[in-house]
Amino acid sequence: MKLDDTLEKRYNCLAEEINFIRQKSIRGKKKNPRRDLNKPVSFWIKRERLLDEIGKEFTIILKTRGCGWALSESGGCSMCGYIEDAAIDDIDQKLIIEQFEYAVQQKLEEIQNDSHNYAIKLFNSGSFFDEAEISPNTRLKIYKNITLIPNIKEVTVESRIEFINRKILEEMLDFLKYNYIEIGIGLETADDHIRNNYINKGLLYDDFLDVYELCKNMGIGIKAYLLFKPPFMNEQAAIDECIYSIKKLIKIGVNTISINPMNIQRGSLVESLWHQKRYRPPWYYSLFKCLRKALNPKDLKKTRIVCDPSGAGTRRGIHNCLDYECNNNMKQKLEEFVLSQDLNALTIEDHNCLCKTQYELQRKYI
Amino acid sequence: MSFFFELLKNRIGFSRIGRITLTENAKDPFYTPNNIIPINKPMMENLDFIENCGQHEVFVIKDEIYLKDEFIHEMFKDSGFLYLHTGAFKKYSIILENKKKIFENDNVISILPFNIPTTIINKEFFYDELHNYFELSSNILNKFPHLNFGITIKLFEYPELIEEYVKFIKDHENICLLNLADLFDNFVYFRTIIKTLITIKNELDNNLVLMASGRLLTNFYPLLVYLGIDLIDSSYLIYMASENFYDSIEDIIPIYKMRFLPCNCVVCRKKLNKELEEKNSIEKMNYLCYHNLISATNYMRKTIQYLHTEDFRNFVEKSAFNDTYFISLLKILDNYHYNEIECYSKMIQKNKEINSLGPSSHNRPDFKRFRKKVVETFQPESWTKLIVLFPCSAKKPYSESRSHQRFYSILRKYSDFPMFQEIILTSPLGAIPRQLENIYPVNCYDISVTGEWSFEELRIASDMLISLLKKFNPHIPIICHLDGGYREISKIAEKEVENPFYYSELTENLTNYSSLNNLQQLIDQRKDEYSLKEDSENEIYTKTWTRKFSKILDYQFGSGFSKDIIGEGIYYAKDKFNTKLTIFDSKQKVKLGSFKFDTGKIRLTIQGAERIAFKSDFSKYLVFDGDKIRGNTLFRPGIINFNSDLLPDENVCIFNRSKDKIVAMGDMIVGSQFIKNSSSGKVVKLYETR
Repeated sequence: MKLDDTLEKRYNCLAEEINFIRQKSIRGKKKNPRRDLNKPVSFWIKRERLLDEIGKEFTIILKTRGCGWALSESGGCSMCGYIEDAAIDDIDQKLIIEQFEYAVQQKLEEIQNDSHNYAIKLFNSGSFFDEAEISPNTRLKIYKNITLIPNIKEVTVESRIEFINRKILEEMLDFLKYNYIEIGIGLETADDHIRNNYINKGLLYDDFLDVYELCKNMGIGIKAYLLFKPPFMNEQAAIDECIYSIKKLIKIGVNTISINPMNIQRGSLVESLWHQKRYRPPWYYSLFKCLRKALNPKDLKKTRIVCDPSGAGTRRGIHNCLDYECNNNMKQKLEEFVLSQDLNALTIEDHNCLCKTQYELQRKYI
Repeated sequence: MSFFFELLKNRIGFSRIGRITLTENAKDPFYTPNNIIPINKPMMENLDFIENCGQHEVFVIKDEIYLKDEFIHEMFKDSGFLYLHTGAFKKYSIILENKKKIFENDNVISILPFNIPTTIINKEFFYDELHNYFELSSNILNKFPHLNFGITIKLFEYPELIEEYVKFIKDHENICLLNLADLFDNFVYFRTIIKTLITIKNELDNNLVLMASGRLLTNFYPLLVYLGIDLIDSSYLIYMASENFYDSIEDIIPIYKMRFLPCNCVVCRKKLNKELEEKNSIEKMNYLCYHNLISATNYMRKTIQYLHTEDFRNFVEKSAFNDTYFISLLKILDNYHYNEIECYSKMIQKNKEINSLGPSSHNRPDFKRFRKKVVETFQPESWTKLIVLFPCSAKKPYSESRSHQRFYSILRKYSDFPMFQEIILTSPLGAIPRQLENIYPVNCYDISVTGEWSFEELRIASDMLISLLKKFNPHIPIICHLDGGYREISKIAEKEVENPFYYSELTENLTNYSSLNNLQQLIDQRKDEYSLKEDSENEIYTKTWTRKFSKILDYQFGSGFSKDIIGEGIYYAKDKFNTKLTIFDSKQKVKLGSFKFDTGKIRLTIQGAERIAFKSDFSKYLVFDGDKIRGNTLFRPGIINFNSDLLPDENVCIFNRSKDKIVAMGDMIVGSQFIKNSSSGKVVKLYETR
């Protein structure tokens, strides 16, 4: 499932640039002291849309050696700076289990006392199925521990597609047979050119389809991540591309689409473009326009659309003007839409910020 | 049938007047140059926009919702439309497919979009992206072979990649418009701008419409038109309005600074004026949009007006003072790219006063061509025995000025006065032989005179004077009746040529009795210093106008051709309006041509041209594919052969297919470069056919 040679050659100039920035960032990064490695990067509980209901998510961000793609010569994805959270060097697998257990211990009581159903999301800013990050034994122990947490209905992990195979999925199914399993794949866009030329994902849509078919046949759900407004794109193109991707994914029947509006992460190529004013994170208005145009109530019954933008309302994240009220209003509408899956939540007729007209006037030129 | 462009007239520089015809019956053609007003949702929601801008000739649609019949045919029934998608190419393809009929029947000009990438990381990255764009564009162009398209050209910081576009455009006949999307974003790179435009002009069909879009402000318009841009997208002014900037034409000023609105448009007068003290609001932003568009459209109209009827170059120079880079661009264009401009620029402007504004005007193309051609074609009359240098006068032609009439009164006292060669020194045209005082631009230029000459003015005039004097016998005495800077010029020349220089003694000024008396004494002393060999030819050339016609013919057709045309003598007759002189052969009484005072040009008749056209070194000709021409215009498809150095405005003869007969005479509308690169369009305006 690797890109063929010619394709790889074509993408080299972007990869070289990303790798240069990445290596600079890695060199400058302080190695984490050991005492930090037994605690996850972050963990939280918040309201979330589950498959058929409004529930809660328990998210744990595990600290591993980091994404293999980012640490490779490719330099990783142009927008990704998660390597900043990673340890870079190999981590003792015991510590990863400790990280998981620490998060569970901290939140167990809250979950036990909650009437809502939960989705547990295990993210490691890389690939959950990459043995270099999380060993098979560690994975099994984590699966086992998940079964001990009450109210967990859904389990979500993320991985690049090259690490996903039948054996690994069967193993997961064996332990988590009573849960709905969803594998998050960073497809970013349905367009191969944008994905590989602008994002440097090193992934072809056809390969994604193969994995999707495999998961589907095994009863495992796919959560496709779409990046809203990748680098080198303007607002209108971002809207066009995202609509195209959403429609395409809904058509094949992907279970969940998670739309990630771009946020500027440290140590990424996008950050360097942003510093040079050659990139601006998307406007909320664009995202709303895209969702309104791409979706209809029928589709929303089939496919779950989630969107939880990082850095929303700040200069580095999706934002309109920098007025708190304006961004907060949009944020609330988006949250409401995700929880309710009701497109009416996305209407902005009642939103009366000056920047709305400014956006409408500028959209065709930015 | 899809849209097409027709070049109607060349103007000075690369500027031109053209016409874009849409579907034959659907709409009237619209004329270029013009600015394009964007249509977008917020503006369309306001009736003011339709009221203020609804009559505009050409709009650009950037939202597919406006690609519908009722909009194009009812609301804006008299306007032309372009469609420029601002998003992804894939979406554009879908729109094109869905709205095929609108593009085919209503002939909305569709422009292939190149919006992404918005930026690049290096040349290789751009190269890959460019070829991806070509691949996508090629699919569309091949899929709709009967539809003409525009192509968006983005160069980022790699102007050399224009060559890639040129190859691609040459391979696709249905590309009829070039949308230069980022070329004018930064005038710091004025050299790049010039080079790119020259590449486009020299390598591509000149019937391609040139459109400029990107970060274009109103004060760019005259210069853009001078650079040959046909359509200018005003969209950026909307963007600036949304950022609360007010277009004052010369500049774009933040609205918070505005206290005294310099515009009297309907928006400024009624609405914006009241909003000035208020906080920024949606209304204020909308008003700014309208004002900026009105202001751009008005300035464009002014530009077009000057292009049609006034000295456009002068207008461009004045507008260039808004930006130092504009001045640099003009300077570089004039000084280093004259040869390229010459091929396209109209060099004669009739009925116009040509004002030289200073250093920026010194090397304007029409002045430069005049100086170049005089030096190339002027040959001294063999009977010259005295050269007299005079200063220029404010009135044109010089000989009608009071000062020159006084000089004349002295010279005419001598019966051998036709043996004197008068040369008039001036800035910025240089040194002008008296015989050429009636041609363009000598007959209509003007310059501010203070008596102080800049180094460049002195250099231009002295260089030209030296070049002319070197053509004469080095023993012919030169009398200088000059003062101030003029005298400095002759002093510079004196060091470079062998001829003896004599300076008349001046008292106070050049035209008082005593100075003129001194001039007369000097002529008395020196006129026979150089002894001529026996020459009977000068009997024919004793009349002033015969001498003038002789030199004008040489100027137009090349050295020596006048001799063949004038033959054994000519006479001329004035028309009753005193606008032209008709030239006849004095023996055969046939009409040879006519000289028009407004153009300063001789138009030969077929009979006149026959005297020189069959000579081996005659170059002002085209070969027509046939034996008889009908109508008064020769179009490109009718031309089977042509001389490669024909320039706009030149008087040319048109041969029949076998090149043994002149079938018509005319004035070039375009130059050889156009004929070489194009397969259609008007080439010669005919004034006589056989």
